[in-house]
Amino acid sequence: MKFLRRPSIAIASGAFAVFLLARFVAGASAPDFAARLTAQAPAVITQAGGGNRVRAIFLSPRGLPSRHPLLVGGEPLDEPTRAEIATAVASIPGVGGIRWSDGDMMAIGGEPVFRPLHCQEDVQALLRARTIRFEESSSRMDIGSNELVDEVAAALRPCLGAIIQITGHTDNSGPEPGNIALSTERARAVRAALIERGIPADGLRTRGVGSQRPVDGLDPADPANRRIEFSVIATEPIRPTPVDTPAPR
Amino acid sequence: MPIWMEVFVLMLLAYAIGMGIGWAIWGRAS
Repeated sequence: MKFLRRPSIAIASGAFAVFLLARFVAGASAPDFAARLTAQAPAVITQAGGGNRVRAIFLSPRGLPSRHPLLVGGEPLDEPTRAEIATAVASIPGVGGIRWSDGDMMAIGGEPVFRPLHCQEDVQALLRARTIRFEESSSRMDIGSNELVDEVAAALRPCLGAIIQITGHTDNSGPEPGNIALSTERARAVRAALIERGIPADGLRTRGVGSQRPVDGLDPADPANRRIEFSVIATEPIRPTPVDTPAPR
Repeated sequence: MPIWMEVFVLMLLAYAIGMGIGWAIWGRAS
């Protein structure tokens, strides 16, 4: 073990040993821990007013056990109920930060006012016949989709100044947190492509909803649910949430 | 963040603190 005399190598191999030990310790105990939290969550959520619609998924985006739950199914609930559910779940011993599947760090203030403009119809007409395709389980756009994105950018041009929302959807294969991450990544990729084509970045919002909103009348497992949707909103219905609210969305 | 990564970060921190203490006590003398 002569090479361990060099301090840098000794420190690095110690760190690697720590890495192996952490993988081993967590590999042995994490699944049980996450399962215990998963078992405790439904009762707490029901008590906080979430019924059995809201589920807490204790998995990281790549499907590994995590103590940071993803709350799914809270879309129809109002803000105070969501805040109460999030606080209740966070109070289970061992639970870390909470995310909502439809959430970012903004709260929606009151009833958002949506007024579709004509270019939304133009874009939807374009996407009715063809879809923006991606490489499998990747957010890299298929080369063949470039032309379609060109046309979408041209169709969006009359709406400059409005807020355009890009929503990514997936089918329900694979773990839901991963689906949500993937659909968000894809929506972001489309946003980046549109910015490249001269659509101003500050008017583009992205969002990934995973498999939560399948196409009407389609089975959630149908691959046709993998899609990108554009909606043009005339006003910006987003308002920052007060700091320290434990229910970011 | 998956649990194993949190465990890893905490253990790495403990390792670094241990190294620091060890160096402060024995490392400087020799």
